[in-house]
This record gives sequence, C-alpha cells and structure tokens, in this order.
Amino acid sequence: MTTSQPTVGVVSRVAAALLGGWLFAWGFVTLGIMLLLRAGMPYSDARTLTYLLAFLVYLAGLCWSFAMRRARSAWLTLAGGGAAMTALAWWLARASL
Amino acid sequence: MAWLHTWFGLVLGYVLIVVFFFGSLSVFDREIDRWALPETRFAPQPMPSFDRMLSPIFKQMKPEPAELEAARARVGGSLPAELAVMNWAVYTTHRDPVLAMYAEFAVPNNPNDPDDHVHGHVTIDPRNGRLLGDDQLKVGSEFFYPMHISLHVTWKDLGYWIVGLAALAMLAALVSGLVIHRRIFREFFTLRPRKHVQRSTLDLHNLTGVVALPFHFFFALTGLTIFAGIYLPVSETMLKPQAQAAAVHEAKAKGLPFKPAGVAAPLASVDAMVLEAKRRWAARGMAGEVGYLYVNHVGDRNSYVSLYRAGSDRVTLVGQPIHFEGTTGRVLYEEPPSSAVASVNDFLTGLHLQHFEHWLLRWFYVFGGLTGCVCIATGFIFFVEKRKRQHAQAGVSGARWVDAFAVTSVTGMLIATLAMLIANRVLPIELAQRGDWQKASFWGVWLLTFAHAAARGAMPRMTRLSPAWREQCLAVAALAPAAVILNWVTTGDHLLKTLAEGYWPVAGLDLALLAVGSIAAGAAVRLRRGERAVAAPAASLDEAAAAGAGTADREAARA
Repeated sequence: MTTSQPTVGVVSRVAAALLGGWLFAWGFVTLGIMLLLRAGMPYSDARTLTYLLAFLVYLAGLCWSFAMRRARSAWLTLAGGGAAMTALAWWLARASL
Repeated sequence: MAWLHTWFGLVLGYVLIVVFFFGSLSVFDREIDRWALPETRFAPQPMPSFDRMLSPIFKQMKPEPAELEAARARVGGSLPAELAVMNWAVYTTHRDPVLAMYAEFAVPNNPNDPDDHVHGHVTIDPRNGRLLGDDQLKVGSEFFYPMHISLHVTWKDLGYWIVGLAALAMLAALVSGLVIHRRIFREFFTLRPRKHVQRSTLDLHNLTGVVALPFHFFFALTGLTIFAGIYLPVSETMLKPQAQAAAVHEAKAKGLPFKPAGVAAPLASVDAMVLEAKRRWAARGMAGEVGYLYVNHVGDRNSYVSLYRAGSDRVTLVGQPIHFEGTTGRVLYEEPPSSAVASVNDFLTGLHLQHFEHWLLRWFYVFGGLTGCVCIATGFIFFVEKRKRQHAQAGVSGARWVDAFAVTSVTGMLIATLAMLIANRVLPIELAQRGDWQKASFWGVWLLTFAHAAARGAMPRMTRLSPAWREQCLAVAALAPAAVILNWVTTGDHLLKTLAEGYWPVAGLDLALLAVGSIAAGAAVRLRRGERAVAAPAASLDEAAAAGAGTADREAARA
C-alpha cells in the first residue's frame, strides 16, 4: 500500500469500523435504554443489559465493516444507523420528561 | 479478514501484550505487594473494630496533598483550611493482611462542579492500628494492576481508551483469526517445532490462540463491559435526566438520604451494626465477613452506613448490602437479592475480577493470560520473519522496527519488571520518594531495552532472528534469580524458610521467578544453537514455507 489512493481507502475503512462502530454502539445503548425504560425496566438494569450487549454489537459492526465491498456502505450503515438510533432515543427521552 | 487480523493485531498487539502480561501478574497483585513490602508479610486479617480502631484514624485523615493543589487551581485560589469530609470507606479481601481506608472531602466554591471532591487514603496494620508509611509503593496492586487497566496514562482517561481499543482489536483478531482458520479443530493438534521459524511460530500462534480462545474472548469482552461507563457515558450526558431521576427514586425507595441535612450529629456504634449485618447474613444461609464498609454524609444527621459482604466464597465481588441509619444504628434497608440482569452482570464481571478464594482457578487465569502473551508474541515474530528478507532487499526498514518493538514488548517488558523488583530490594529504605525511584527503574530500563533492540537489529542479517532476542533472554535468565537472592539477602525470607512455613505469597513469587529464569536460559541456549545452525542463505526458507503451508495458511501468508 504505497500510493495514496488505497491509503485513503484503508483510513476510511478503519475509521468507518472504529468511529462508525462506536456511534452505532452509542445509538444501540441509548435507544435500548429508552425502549427498556418504556417497557418498565428500572434504569440501572436497562443500562447494565445494554452495556452487556453493546460491545458484541460494536464487534459485529467492526467485522462487518471489513466484510463490505465499499467503505461507503460501512459508513452509511454504521454511522448512519447509529445517528438514526441516537436521534430516536433523544426524541424518546425528551418525550418522557 | 486477513488484513484486519494482521494490521489490527500488529498495531494494537504491543498494547495488548502489556495488558495481558500485567493482567496475569495482577491475579497475584496482593501477593507481589507482600514480596515488595516485607513488613506486611503476615497472615490476612479480618476487618478490625470500627469504633475502637478505625474511627480515630478516619478522624485524623487528610486529603492527598497533590489532589489538594489541583483542587486549589480548579476553584481559582483559596480553599478553607479544613475540608468537610463527605464519606468514609474501608475495603478488605481474604488476601489482605493490611487494611486500606479511604475518605472523600468536599471542595466548595467550584462553579463548574458542585460535587467537586478530593480523596485521602491510608493503609494500616489491622492488628494494632499502626499506619504504614506514606512512601510504601504496593508494587503489585498500585503499579502492575493500574498498568493493566490504564497503562498509567491517566490524562483524561486516555489510558482506558487505549486499552479499550486494544481489547476491541483483540476481539476482532479472534473473530478474523477464526474466519481465516475455519478448520479450527485441527489447530489444537498442530505443532511442528522442528520446522523452521516461520512454520513453527505460526503453529504455536494458532495453537495458543485456539486453546484459550474462550478465555481470550471472555476477558477482552468483560474488560470492555466493566468500563463501559467510560466508553459509552450515556448516564452523564444524553440520558443524565433519566439517570438522576432513577438515582433519586432508588435512594427514596431504600430510605437512604440522597443529600446531607446540614445538621451535625454523632455516629452510633458501627461495631453493633457489623454484628447485626453478620447475624442477618447468617440467617439467610450465607454467613460471612464484611468486605466493604461505607459511611455516607459523615457527621451529619442524614448519615448512613452500608455494609457489604465479602464475596470470597462466590464469583460476585461483594454483595448482600445492608444499610443502617448512622445516628441510631437501626436497619434502614436490607437489599433484596439482585435482579436477573444485575446477577448476570455481577457474575460475568466477577469472573474477570476474581476476588474469590480458589487458588487453582486463579493459576489457570495466570496461564491463560500468559498463553495470550505467547499468542501475541508469536504473531509479531511471524510477521517479522515473513517480511524481513523482502524488506531488506527493498531497502525498507519496516520489519526491522516491528522487530525492535516486538523485542521491547516481550523480553524488554520482562526485564523492566524484574528491574523494578530488584530496585525494590536494593534501594535504601530511607531514600526519599523510594516509590517514584522504583517506577523510574521500570520505565528507564524498559527504554534501555528498546535502545538495545533497535541497535542490535540494525544490521541486515540473513540469520533467523535479531540477536537482541537471545541477549535479552540472557538478561532475564540473570535478573530473575538475582531478585530471588536479593529477597533472601535483604529480608532473610529465603525459599526453604518460606516453603517450610507455607508462606505462599513470597514462596510463590520466588518460585515463579526461578521458573522464568530457567525458561529464559533454555530459550537463550536454543536460540544460540539456532544461530549457529544457519549456514545457507534464507533462499530456501520461503520455499519450505510454501511447501509446508496448507490452504488456510496460504491465505494468512498473503496478509
């Protein structure tokens, strides 16, 4: 990998995996907590349960990002999906207060 | 998948091997403390009387000077002469001869953080209440263990983030490694040590990865879960209102005052509370000792005392808390058994943190961790040996630097650890900041091992391995028994004595040091033989590699 084109692709792929994956995990946790709260679970249990699953979700996103043919698909699903889940969680949080 | 495995594994492998190694040492952190602090080499003690021994000591405690300075800077100048104490805590396990006592003091006038506070702590001999001196570095629990969780990089929790990233990379490397070696079962039974370096190294890498795969996966995953609050701080940010509401609600349900009343009141007998707690635990069929004692809102009418049972006989750390009203000693709330979610979490994290009393299992943890280190180290060696010739011919120095860092993080890290133990024995007792000098020995020697590795790998050699490997193995072979001898000379606790007395904390570490020294000596001898045996240029090596490799490994070789 000596030319700049593949390097940009590599950086993008890694960033999609790590940053996009993190955002996806954040969305999963916040949305998960809000939905569990609505279902009647106490906050500490909801947070504990989503934390237990969060890093499996992050790992799945990370590996999946590398299985994709294009880095852009990885970005869209991970960062996009993460942002969408976070936004939904935000809205649920505001609505419940 | 191969790219992911190779590059995430290589870049984060240097961090990961440090985390695995010091994690293995941390299983016996308190035993290493005994070796490093000879005056604490007595049997573990139960928690002493709070009223008679701990209370007077708590009342004398002061905040840490360094934290006080930082707090002064945060509030922009002046602090009252005496900071109000917020809470007290005592923590002990079945392995602690000495007792750790902690306090938090309120820092007023911080506009940015109304809950600002600083910490104080002391360590005492619970048999007589004598304070351990300030500069008594607990090499195991205060240096090796924090190295494991944060690499001693505390600025903005950066160390935790780096370790977390390494853990995530470990999980990814395990999954991608499995994908690369789909026919995983045969890896259990494949070790060809008599083949040349690339082949046997890869075999050992696969074997150690696969044999302890559940262990590696579980520890990386639970490590991340334990610090999930740092990596995904939802309760402090986006869901703060929900978290706060839940905390207030929980405190109300338990009857525990969330804030102090602002009215002074004395504390009732805590010893009586301890007796009552033990009685209640026994009535539930789980008689036990107090593992964690917590006094909140000290000196206030709203004070309460929380007593947690030490979990030495089960996987969960501490549990079955009972809360007492501070001023009267009556039971405010006896917590019911944990919810299903909390039980699962406590079990999983308790397995990682292993405070239970089961010595065989703890030794398995050590071997699991060291197996992980071998997996990572063989990964480095395979990477370097595969690329060395190509890089040398192309005039690129990549493989050489990877090798220098590999030597530093494997044998170099071992040498630095031994140097610290030796410094611990050799430095004069009256030396000011003796603890800091021990830490400096560790870091300084580690840096030296890097300089050595970089220098010795400079010559483009067609021999199998950089001579730095063998030379550092020789250093380990010399330093490890030296540490054992120094322990004998400076404390009189030689192996025959500690074995006869059955004092395992010191005997165990001495035996482990001798074992490490012998293995290193054996490795140095074999490496010497290997160096002498290499006659023909390495042209034949790659052909042998291609001939010996199966389909799966050819894919790995392309990585």
